[in-house]
This record gives sequence, structure tokens and C-alpha cells, in this order.
Amino acid sequence: MLGLRLFFIGIVATAIAGGGFYVVKLQKDNAILKANAIKLESAVAEQQELITQQKNDFKEILAANQKMNELVGVLKKDLEDLDKRFNKKNRDVGKLAIAKPDAIQRITNAGSANATRCIEIASGSPLTEEEKNATLKSQINSECPSIANPNYVPYQN
Amino acid sequence: MYHIKTKDKTYRLAWIIAVPLMLCLLLSGCSGVKTLEIFKKEVEREKLNLSKPTPLELENLKWIIINSKNAEEVFKKLEESGIDPVLWGLTDKDFELLAKNFARIRNQLKITNDLLDKYKEYYEGDLEKKDEK
Repeated sequence: MLGLRLFFIGIVATAIAGGGFYVVKLQKDNAILKANAIKLESAVAEQQELITQQKNDFKEILAANQKMNELVGVLKKDLEDLDKRFNKKNRDVGKLAIAKPDAIQRITNAGSANATRCIEIASGSPLTEEEKNATLKSQINSECPSIANPNYVPYQN
Repeated sequence: MYHIKTKDKTYRLAWIIAVPLMLCLLLSGCSGVKTLEIFKKEVEREKLNLSKPTPLELENLKWIIINSKNAEEVFKKLEESGIDPVLWGLTDKDFELLAKNFARIRNQLKITNDLLDKYKEYYEGDLEKKDEK
């Protein structure tokens, strides 16, 4: 009888101890869950930061694309202007060169010097102060004003 | 007789409570909440840092206009200046094409150069700000 009673007491004591351990375990789990929640919150904040960064990147990409398109546009215009210089109002440079060889030679050499400078600028040569400050048609590099004279605003024809 | 029966009931009740309780403890011991681990492996790629090519410094060349009327005079002037009296010729149409070809090459050079700057700026930060530093 005493053995059975002790056995019963043992079981009850084990159950109580088990319950105690279980509660402690639950508390530990709770602490871990709290830590997990904090980590998740910080992960969400990081993701939001990433999204903001991505938005800024897209803006930058769009701006770069726009600038490149603008550049292609102005360079195309320079090329069209060159074509106009040769063929404006049925102009025949050959006939002009027969009639006024000295004048055409002077104009050609000036144009050639300008075109040479344009290639230097296109290859990365920095602009001179004179080029930067040119605002009048007489001051500009007529071969490539779009890249040589940033402050020049062409007149409207 | 009654005393023995009550004891039996008590023991049975104890078993009924204790066994499931122990079983629960045993099973719940296997499961548990694991600490969440977030892996972050952000290794920034090394910057290429190639220096930009040196801008071109070109020589100016001199064009000479020669036609049927001034040819003799032009060659005479060349001889007087100690230059061989020989010229490489282009017709007015070919000169126009040459000028346009050069303009196209220049445009392409400018676009490529700017494109390179934009890529560098995007992946390696603002070039102007870096230059200021």
C-alpha cells in the first residue's frame, strides 16, 4: 500500500515538475517569438528602404535615357545644319570654288579647324572658357555648337 | 471494502490525469519555436576604375582649293614655298561626303563617350561630386 501511495505521489510530483518545465519552455518560446517579430519588423523596414532605392534608380535611369535622347537629337540637328551649309537654296559649292577659290579656301580651312576641335571635344577634351561663354553666332563653333557652346541658344528662323 | 474501492478509483484517476499529461509533455518537447535566421550576404563588386582615355589632340590641316583657272598659280605657290607640287584631290561632292562622314564619326564618338560617363556615374556614383572631392 505504501509503495502504491509513493508511486502515486511520484507521478503527481513528476506531473507538477513537468508542468513547471513546460511553462518555462513556453516563456522561452515567447521570448524567441518576440525576437523573431523584431527581426521581421527590421526586415520589412529594410525592404521598404530597398524599394525606395529602386524607385530612385528608376528615376536616374529615366533621366539618363532622356539626356542621351536629347544628345542624339542635337547631334542630328548639327548634321542637318552641315547638310544645309552645302545645299542651302541650291547652293553649289563647286561653282563657288571656281568663282571665288580664295574665299572658299578660307571658309573651308576655318570649317576644318572647327570640325577638328569638335572631334577633340567629342573625345572628352574640356571646353575652353571662350567656348563656354560663347553666346553669339559669331563666337560659336558653327560645326558643332551643341557640344562646343553650351550657352549658345540658336536663333529661330 | 468501501475503502479499497475508493483507493482504486483514486489511483485510476491519477493514471488518467498523469499519463496524458506526461504524453503531452513528451510530445511537446520535440516541437519548439526556432529562432528565425535572416541571411544577408551582400558582397559589393569591386569597381572597375579604368581611367578614361586621354582626349584627342589633333593637328590642323590646310585645304587648298584648286580649279582649272588657278591650278598653275597654286602649283607655282607650292613650289615657291618649298612644298612638292602635288595635291590629293576631292571633287566638291566628295568633299561634302567627307565632311558629313567626319560629322557622323564625331557624333558617334560623343555619344559613346557620354554613354560611358553615364554608366560610370550610375554604377560608381556621381563623377562630378567625386571630382570635387
